[in-house]
Formats: sequence, C-alpha cells, structure tokens
Amino acid sequence: MIDRIPSGFHPFVIPFLVGMGFVFLYLIIGFIRLLFELNHKERQRFFLSLINPKIALKNVRDIFLDCLIHVKLWKRNKLLGFMHSSIAFGWFMLIVLGHIEVLLFVPGRINIFYYPIFFNYFVAENEQTLKGSLLFFLMDFFLLIVLIGIALAMYKRVHSRLFGMRRTPWPTLMNNIGLYSLWAIFPLRLLAESFTAHISGGSFLTIPANWLFRQFLGNDLNMLPTWWVYSIALGVFMLVLPFSRYMHIPAEMLLIPMRNAGIKVRSARKGFARLEVLSCPNCGVCIDACPMTANRANVRDCTVYLTRQIRRHNERRINEISDKCLMCGKCTAVCQVGVEGPELRLMQRATRSYGIQPDYSSLTANPLGVPASNTQRGDLNANPLNANPLNVAYFAGCMTKLTPAIGRSVMSVLAKAGIEATWLDRDEGLCCGRPLYLSGRIEEAEQLAKRNEELIRQSGAKILLVSCPICYKMFREHYKLEGIEVVHYVDYFNQLIAEGRLKVDKSAVCYVYHDPCELGRGCNKYEEPRKLLGRIAGIAEAEKNRAESVCCGGSLGSLTLNHQQREAITKGALNNLYASRADAIATACPLCKTTFARYADRPVKDLAEILDAVTHS
Amino acid sequence: MKENVVIIGGGIAGMAAAKQLQVLGYQPIIVEQKSNLGGHVSQWYKLFPDMTPAQDVIDELAKDLKGVNVFLETRVLNWERSLLQHEYDVTLSNGVQIHTKAVLVASGFRLFKAAKKEEYGYGVYDHVITNADLERWMRGREDKRIPAKPRAIGFVHCVGSRDLKAGNSQCSKVCCTTAIKQAIEMKERYPDAEIYCFYMDLRLFGKKYEDFYINAQRDFGVHFIRGRVSEVGETIDGRLQVKAEDTLQGKPLKVQLDLLVLMSGMVCNVETQTWAKELHLNIDNDGFLKSADNVMHIVESNRPGIFYAGACTGTKTVPETLAEANAAALAIHKYLSDD
Repeated sequence: MIDRIPSGFHPFVIPFLVGMGFVFLYLIIGFIRLLFELNHKERQRFFLSLINPKIALKNVRDIFLDCLIHVKLWKRNKLLGFMHSSIAFGWFMLIVLGHIEVLLFVPGRINIFYYPIFFNYFVAENEQTLKGSLLFFLMDFFLLIVLIGIALAMYKRVHSRLFGMRRTPWPTLMNNIGLYSLWAIFPLRLLAESFTAHISGGSFLTIPANWLFRQFLGNDLNMLPTWWVYSIALGVFMLVLPFSRYMHIPAEMLLIPMRNAGIKVRSARKGFARLEVLSCPNCGVCIDACPMTANRANVRDCTVYLTRQIRRHNERRINEISDKCLMCGKCTAVCQVGVEGPELRLMQRATRSYGIQPDYSSLTANPLGVPASNTQRGDLNANPLNANPLNVAYFAGCMTKLTPAIGRSVMSVLAKAGIEATWLDRDEGLCCGRPLYLSGRIEEAEQLAKRNEELIRQSGAKILLVSCPICYKMFREHYKLEGIEVVHYVDYFNQLIAEGRLKVDKSAVCYVYHDPCELGRGCNKYEEPRKLLGRIAGIAEAEKNRAESVCCGGSLGSLTLNHQQREAITKGALNNLYASRADAIATACPLCKTTFARYADRPVKDLAEILDAVTHS
Repeated sequence: MKENVVIIGGGIAGMAAAKQLQVLGYQPIIVEQKSNLGGHVSQWYKLFPDMTPAQDVIDELAKDLKGVNVFLETRVLNWERSLLQHEYDVTLSNGVQIHTKAVLVASGFRLFKAAKKEEYGYGVYDHVITNADLERWMRGREDKRIPAKPRAIGFVHCVGSRDLKAGNSQCSKVCCTTAIKQAIEMKERYPDAEIYCFYMDLRLFGKKYEDFYINAQRDFGVHFIRGRVSEVGETIDGRLQVKAEDTLQGKPLKVQLDLLVLMSGMVCNVETQTWAKELHLNIDNDGFLKSADNVMHIVESNRPGIFYAGACTGTKTVPETLAEANAAALAIHKYLSDD
C-alpha cells in the first residue's frame, strides 16, 4: 500500500476532527469535574483501585463484557443482545483493525489521528498487498456485522416486541439526531469505501459494490462527496453525543471502574450519581419492568425518565418521579448498566426540608408512654433480661404486629423446636426506622436505629430473629450490632430443620412463592425461602420471579401513590402469581401478605404460618 | 293467567316486594340461595331502635307469602334477554325456566370478611368475634369465643367500611347504631363489665338513634373512645390487649379486654357483580349496583324490566329496605301496566 495523498490531509476530515475534538474536550473537563465532586475518600479509593491488579483486571473484563459484548442484554433477549454487540463490538473492531492497517501499511502515519478512520481514502493499493487480504476481508466482515446491527435497530423502531420490549421511551430531539447520524455512519462508510475500492482495494462487500457503481456511474465524481458526508455524519454524532443518550458509551466505561472501586451514590446529582445518570442508555427496559406501569399507568415515572429529567434539571418532575417510586429496586435488577434508580430517588428525597423536625433521640423503650400494666414475657421494662440473658430474641416489627398470625406462628415454631426465645417488642417496641429512611429522613431514621440498637443490646441476645424483611434490611445495613447475629427466620428455620430440631410434614397444598422486594432484591435471599417452602409444601414459580419479582404495591417506599393506583399494581402482581396456577400464595413479608390478602382470590400465607401448621410439637 | 315477576333474593326486600306484588295481582317467584327466607335479618336478634325482635319482622313478612312461588337453595344459572322485546328467560339451577317481563334484583349485601383486617386478630385470637357472630350468639347459638363472665368488652367500629385500604370507601350506615345496641345488650347481660366503643365518627342519623346513644352513655355507662384501634395483641393469660389512640384527649391508650367485637361493614355482593356485568347493568364505584338515578329512580336500573330493591344498591337500614321493596313493587306494576 502506498500513500495516495502526499500531504496526508484532505478538508473532508474537518467535520470529524471538530466533532472528535469537542467530545474529547468535553469528556476530559467532565471527568475532572466529576473527580472534584467526589470526596477525598472516594477519590483515594478510585485511584487505589486502578493500581490494584485484581480490580484492574475486573475492570477490563467488565468493560469488555458489558460495553462491547453486552452480555446482560444477551441474557435478556438474544436478538437485542446481538443488535447491541454487533454495533458496539463491530465498530470497536473496525477502529482496531483500522489502526492495524495503518501500522502495517503506512507506519509513518500512525500519529495522524484520523488516518485509521479514513484509511481507504488516503491509500492506494499496489502489488505488495494481495487482493482480498485478510485485513480487507475482516474490515468488510465487521462492517457487515455493524450493518446488520443497524438494520435490526431500524426494525426495532417499528416492532420492539421482537426484541422482548413492550414499551420504549419517548425519543427526544437530541436522541433522534444522534440516532439518525449513527444509523447513517455505517451505510455511508460502505458507500465511501466502495467508491474508492478500485484504488484502495477492498473485499467481498466493497469490491462488488464498486464494480456495480462503475457500471452505471462510470466516473469517480461521487467519491469525494461521499467521504465528506461520512465525515459529517461522524462529526454530527460526536457533537450531539454529550447531549444525547449516547453519552452512556463513555460514561459507562468510567462507571464500571468507579463501581468496582466501591463508590456509592451519596448525593442526588453529584459525583457518582451524575455518572449513573449519564450512563443511562435510555433503553427503557425499566419501563416494562416497573410494577407501577401495570395498566399503562405511571410510565413517565420510571427510572429512564428520572435520569432524563435530572439531565434536563426539571426540578418539578424530578421531585414527582422521586416521590412516587415504590423503591422496589426492580429497575436496577433489570438495568444493563446498573443505574440505581431507587438510590438516586432516595438522595433526592433526602434533599427536602420539612417544616416539622421530629426529634427521636430522646425516645424511650415505651413509646406509648403508658406504664407497663402487667408483667409479661417480652416486656422490656418488666422482664429483667440482663439478669437472665436469652439466646434468641425475636423482633416482630410494626408490620408483623398488624399481621399477628405471623408473629404467633414464629413463636409457636420456636416453642416446638424447644428454643426459649424472648419476643422483644411483644408489648412495646420502636419502629426499625426503614419507613423514615425510605422517605429520605435519614437522620431521624438513624436516631431510631440508635435507640433500637441499645434496646436490642440490653436484651443480651446472641441472635436477633426477624420475620419482616423491611426490618431485616434496616438491621443489616444501618445498625451496628456487633456480636449479635441478625437472621431472618427463613435461614433460622432452615437450619433448625437441617439440625433435626424441627420435625415437619409436607403439606399437599401447592404454593407460589412471591419474592418480597426487601428480602429478594434487598437482601439477596432467593433460594433460602424456596428451600424452606419446598420442605413443607408444594412449590410453583410465578411468571416473573426472583430478581424480577413484581412488587406487591404495598411498599413503604412510595410517598404519593394513592390506594387506587396501588390497587392496580397489586392486581398486576397477583396476575403474575396466578400464572403459576398454584392453590395459594406464600410469601415471607408481612406487608406483602396484607397487601395481597386484600385482593387475592386464593389464600395468602406467610412461610412461618405454613411451617407452623405442618410442624410437630 | 297472572304475570310472572322473578325476584332474586329472598331477604326482607324480596319478601316485602313479593307480598306487595301479589296484592297488585302478579305472580312473584322468589329465588333464594339459602335454605330459608329472611336473609341477614333472619340471623339478627333484635333491631334498633325499639329492640324489635328480628324474628317478628321475618314472621310478619312470611305470613303473607302463601301464593308466592319460593325456590330455596336455588340460583339463577342463566339469564337471557329476548331479542325483540324487553323480556327475559331466566333459567334456575333446579331446571325451572321462567319467561318474564320484569325481574326484581334484591340480592342484598355481604358482610365484610373481618379476617381481612388481620391486625384486629379475627381468626387469630380466641376472643375476637364480629357483630354477626354476636347476634347469632344472642339468638342462642353457642360460641366458645365469648367468655362466661367477661370483665371488659370492646367494640371496634368501621371494620372494612370507610376504609380505602380495605377497598371500601362507603359508610356502612348501620354499624354505629348496631354497636350501641349491642353494647347496651351486653351491658344488660353483664352489668359489671366495662364496655368500650372505639369509633372514628358516630353517624347517628335515624329516628331515635341519638337517644339511643345518650342512653348508652348515661344509663349504661358505655365508654365511647374516639380513635381507631391500631393493633390487637394477646397477653400471656389469654386476654386481649388493644392499643388505640384517644384522639379527643390526644393520648395513646391500652386496655385489656375479654371480648372484642368487630363491627364488620356492609360491602357489595361480589356474586351480584359477576352476573350484573354480563347483563350490562351499571355498577357504581362502591361496587354496588347503580340505580338509574340516585334521587328519583333509586329502584330502577339502566335496563328496562330490571328493578332493584334493598341493599344491592347500597348500604341500607331495615325500614329503608322495606320502603324500597314497596316502591319497587309499584314501579314494576307501573312498568307492566304501561306495556
């Protein structure tokens, strides 16, 4: 190969250079700004993680698998995965192969930034390169792959269901400009390379195309304009990239190492939160996943619209979207990038100031202010627990108190296993603080947590048993209970059965297990409850289960959903469970139980109740 | 030959309407699911405000039903409208097929299932019953949940009514007075027992209801506490512990009881809803059937030839239901004679 243009420059590269220059400048400034938004500790963490070989290796692997191959999309839908990886990986290979070509054939030009991109214009083929050499073939091959991806993307606009998506987000102007320029880039590249294929050489795509065009065009007049348009399409794409959803391409490449470094969302808009917002690819997978969108309602309140409104600084909508969410975490579970919608919303809620600032720091164990009238087991004031420390303390929590059958069953199972346990909040107790926490009143929640920690420690228990996943998550994540093991009963009862301390029968009833948000996605307990249920009854799976389980609609997370809206969500979730055709519904959360029981056409039971019914004394 | 009129439901509405229709010269046919006539009222003991025995009402209504066709333990299987006229072919579960020009729906209400409000402990604790359970017990049915000598009894108003969480926004209308009536009856049986009524509003709209309320406080010393019960627990000795807030005093409150009576509200009959949808009858947002007009045409439906009486269109007291049954009979008479 030889240089065709001695200067190595042609004005048509200018649009591309302008776009590329702009993007680089924008990203560098953005990166520096982001670093300043992180606090000292986070910055330190980030830089240290980059030199840690283990994390660095993970970064490379994650970026390759997530950004180029899109493994998570393949898992969701093969066609959707193929579409994304063909465009991303194909484009990546075109760039890499372009560089290899420059290195091999015109090594003197490797420092010229645009050379690999427009290589075919600047070179002429001579005898040294064999016609249809491997590189030319690969270039055409990957171009074909990208073109197939683009064709699929175009078809997806018309028929997204084929790609496993019912609803896609409403496009914005900038997203559309980005989209159409992206769609234009590769067909234009094919045209441009075809027009020059008789000079620069080509392979199975470009040479026949070149021959075809020459049959009726007969001259090279189209060559230069096509390269111009190709360069302009690239330039336009680069120029709108920072203002469109395509910002997710560079943002995700930074998001992955930052997440691997252990940095978390700490503010509503700044630092890592900004990176998450920019990493949202606006694909809209969260729309179909969101339980609120049952009956086509609340579509504009999904995480994809939250990130969009945050980028637009539309404060009214940001607050609306933040307050409405159930905080079930399903959008994060299905998100290919891992945008933590609930976390962003929580931080937004935390920015609000309230007229009344309650102070819970002076709370006593006796929140009702009623003197303990009679001595009971479990009465914190009356029972001298310190003198006689018990191993297991059961904390029912407010929700279990509203579903007394669950609390009773837990105590009954414990009694049958011969375990003497104290019911910590049988008579009086404090809220674990999770509802306050979820509403963004983090300080007040911590005051409650602090007081509760003292009460739990006072009991002298070694094991804190809970039946409510809401409390469980709060205890695990926000309480400092060193030396006390916090267990949800699914684990504890599984252990008791395995140790042979509980003798159980198997009920003939077939239950469909509903994963409560706080236990499943919240505490990553998917298999333990199934193991317990499988031991005591028949088990069936809902249409969407485990990480994709549908929130019951009763969640404490939402601040603004009314009863009618929640009813629609609950009925949607029930239909998901009914798909299993099970006789009854089982769950491990008192809130899910009451919510479902309101509208369900079949019995709704907590695992503790089912277990108690089949346990021998 | 006399013209047939099908009456769906043999409660007091159906019985009163049948009696009236017979007088007007029609052949009423009552279709009743249960094995006896009288519906919910046949389960009650005494009716407010004059403590009329409920059985007397049923007996009086039943007395005049000699010529009426009554199908007990029967359901409507199929209900077809003729294409040309507004006439109906009703097929019953016992195989009988009736051709009729007018149908009176008197399918009534259902009592809210108190177990749905698990926080009150119905079905969980030993001494929690509903208003209906108490009435049956007073009529002589044995109930182990009611202790022999209760020292303290609580009544919880508005269980499942005026409760959006339970899916019912409507007021059940009769429970306030029923609670007062039952409180007085219990106080008469157990003069030493303390009786507490937990209410959120007292809606004593009817004749002599307010006097009833004053009596309960002045003569019987029933305690009325404004505030909903938050949770019910059980003490180690098997008594019930009720936590509530006294919103008049602004204080939380905790009492121990031997018996808790839940005033289950009247809610729509879900079974009625199913066939009403098939017949394109309008259903109101509270789940009850929707009258043609809630002021002027309360006994008429949105379809010619179909009439309503009683609690199928909303919560009603006994006298209201009886009045409506008579009104419906007249409306049917007018409809059939205009024909």
